[in-house]
Amino acid sequence: MTGTLVALKLRLLRNGPHNERAFSLVTGLVLAALVIAGSTLAPRVIHEGWIAVALTVWGGMWVFGPLAQPRHDPSVISLEWLRGYPLRSWRLARALSWTELLGVGPLITLVSLSSLVVLAAPGGPAAMAIAVGAVVAQLYLLIWAGKTVAALAAWLLQTRAGVTMAATQTAVMLALSFAGWVPIAAWLLPRLGEGDTALVTPTLGHLPAPVIDVLAALPTGWGYGAALAARDGAGFGAAMLPLAALLAAGALLQLGWIALTARALRRPSRRAAPRRPAIPERALPLPFTTPQVSAVVSRELATWLRDPARGVELRSAWLTPLLMALIIALTGWSWALPLAGPAAAVFGAMVAINTYALDGTALWQLLTTPGALRADVRGRMAAWALLFGVPSILLAAALWAATGSPLGAAAVGGAIAAAATACAVAPLLALLMPAVGTDARDRIYPGQQAGDPTGGQMTIFPVVLLAAVLPGVIGAVSGGSGWVTALSAILLSGAVLYATPVLTVRRLHQHGAGLLDAMASRDAAVVRSSAHKTER
Amino acid sequence: MTASALGTARAVPVLATKNPLTKRSGKKAVLDFSVPAIEVADLTQRFGSVLAVDRLSLSVPPGMFYGIVGPNGAGKTTTLTAVCGLREPTSGTIKVAGHDLRTDREAALAQLGVMMDGLSLPERLTATEVLRYSAGLRGLDDGWQARAGDLLEILRLDAVPRTLIVEYSTGMRKKINLALALLHRPRVLVLDEPFEAIDPVSAHSIEQVLKQYVDAGGTVVLSSHIMDFVERNCRRVAVVAGGRVLVEGPVEEVAAGSTLNERFIELVGADPVRPLEWLR
Repeated sequence: MTGTLVALKLRLLRNGPHNERAFSLVTGLVLAALVIAGSTLAPRVIHEGWIAVALTVWGGMWVFGPLAQPRHDPSVISLEWLRGYPLRSWRLARALSWTELLGVGPLITLVSLSSLVVLAAPGGPAAMAIAVGAVVAQLYLLIWAGKTVAALAAWLLQTRAGVTMAATQTAVMLALSFAGWVPIAAWLLPRLGEGDTALVTPTLGHLPAPVIDVLAALPTGWGYGAALAARDGAGFGAAMLPLAALLAAGALLQLGWIALTARALRRPSRRAAPRRPAIPERALPLPFTTPQVSAVVSRELATWLRDPARGVELRSAWLTPLLMALIIALTGWSWALPLAGPAAAVFGAMVAINTYALDGTALWQLLTTPGALRADVRGRMAAWALLFGVPSILLAAALWAATGSPLGAAAVGGAIAAAATACAVAPLLALLMPAVGTDARDRIYPGQQAGDPTGGQMTIFPVVLLAAVLPGVIGAVSGGSGWVTALSAILLSGAVLYATPVLTVRRLHQHGAGLLDAMASRDAAVVRSSAHKTER
Repeated sequence: MTASALGTARAVPVLATKNPLTKRSGKKAVLDFSVPAIEVADLTQRFGSVLAVDRLSLSVPPGMFYGIVGPNGAGKTTTLTAVCGLREPTSGTIKVAGHDLRTDREAALAQLGVMMDGLSLPERLTATEVLRYSAGLRGLDDGWQARAGDLLEILRLDAVPRTLIVEYSTGMRKKINLALALLHRPRVLVLDEPFEAIDPVSAHSIEQVLKQYVDAGGTVVLSSHIMDFVERNCRRVAVVAGGRVLVEGPVEEVAAGSTLNERFIELVGADPVRPLEWLR
């Protein structure tokens, strides 16, 4: 059975889709080549402790990667295909486990870990042979650590508590990614808030020995420790003990993965109990809007709170700027705190980038209702403003008031411009770059494939960031006037809010049917093909 | 086993005075019986090199059930999708109650109630919420609330007021789709496979509501594989295969003395099935 499943996986990998895998492969091989290059330069040019750092980061990607993308189901062979076979679930899961060793991730990690052999080379052939064993054992552990974390996350995502946990994990990862540099920057430039750009120069050549000891003691560093022990002739036990530990821990994790997968094979996915209205809700009366737009706003608010995929995004978008503010507050850079406001607008934009694809084939109702497309675009914008836009402006204003930061005006202006841009551009990009996944009616919990909107997120991120920065830059260029900052923020917001929805509605009129086809067939290429035909 | 035998069949209440074609004043809508409810002329739909619909023409008179039957892949759903404005045809014209779908789209869509098979709804709303949403989206006057109440009661969806659409069974989905299609009192209902994969009790409820709608002057155009339903209720039927109309007319004439099912197989042709020795 293992052979059949391995052949199936190889065939699936060969048949594609190839874009994402090719990108990961090329990027991963470049990074792995850098690690190997670093190991050839150690210890003469760079300290070999940096290889331990690189391998720890690499291992961290295996463990934390699945947590950073809790919506993304990376499995190539779907468990749904196998559930109907009269085979014991444990046996099936065990056979399936060997197919997990095939893929881009294991391949590029193998290349990266071969840096251990380079490190051990000065110790002679015996040391190199032990290093080869360390590479295999370390790879085994990393693969099963990553796979088990992913399976555990998928299991947790079937509960409402798990959804919150996944959102928190995502928020922590994002906050660390976007604000993790602040403590280092605050250390290098401690008086930047007062305009003093004097740099505190650290010594980077050698890592402190305790840091290397800690990294080598982590499971991600056991292979590194074994290779160095072999090179330095530290004795058979010092080299072989970490390898035995890696293999034992890897085997335990593999067993854990088999148990979780066997459980998933035995019972179909549970659904996280959706949040229900206590009583049938009344229509939301919104000032300055038509009944059509009010209806869409009510639908959007309910969907943001009840759809499991949107729920994860909503929670993470709310939590991330707060965690960023917390990280900044722990440093001496309190003057930077109001910038969490525009950052909140940026994160709000990134999570609202795929709403049309998440709503799926429900688009048919809008396409067959007179006047509904315009109301839908306006309603999505208004709901986004209520959930993300206004809170991000209020956050910037509150942190400005609390810190009296000289960047306060620029932060509030930036939050206004970023919120307006995000509010207007997110629905347009949701139409231009839909990440089509499982249709809304079949999507029960966030672990299911809801489409990977990374492309859209990477597109809207610089756009909204630019809008956030622009009012502050214009204000600074004009001599630091708060009024100029405020005026430029308002003018920019007005222009974006006026022009963009017109384009979005036009796009929906022209390509809405194509988008519906794409979502019915779960193929975003249909949209591109439809757009191509229309443009011709 | 019949619905009665299951002990679940219930009499479907009449839609009181608030039938789908009754205007707010209580008077019946003025129906122009000289204008076809749906008129499809030379409809062609290509998907790359595949010709799904080939110069198909239909004229559906108002005030009746009109059935479109055909084998899988015949072009039924493609035709109905184009009629609903969900797909731009490669060529041909479609008129809904006299309004050209291409040149007078909004007016044409306003005449239609649509129920498509296998598509999502705003899944995270309850039945009441989705009807309120639809009423708001169409800018309906206050009368929609009474109609929504009637539809929820008749279709037995009021028993699950806190259940979200995403949790609905297939039968419940068909019912809420029907309620949404009827809420704005359209002149024409377009239903794609309304009885596919649902239990006899749900089918009975839907059939009774549709009968009331047609009795009040509405037009129902539906595709179906349930020949029994088509034979019992439709006044006219079109048999479609390979994207073309093979035969069209009153059901009795099309059936030509046989059952509609027998005539259908005769027209479309059944694949010969050789005996499978290993099944013996």
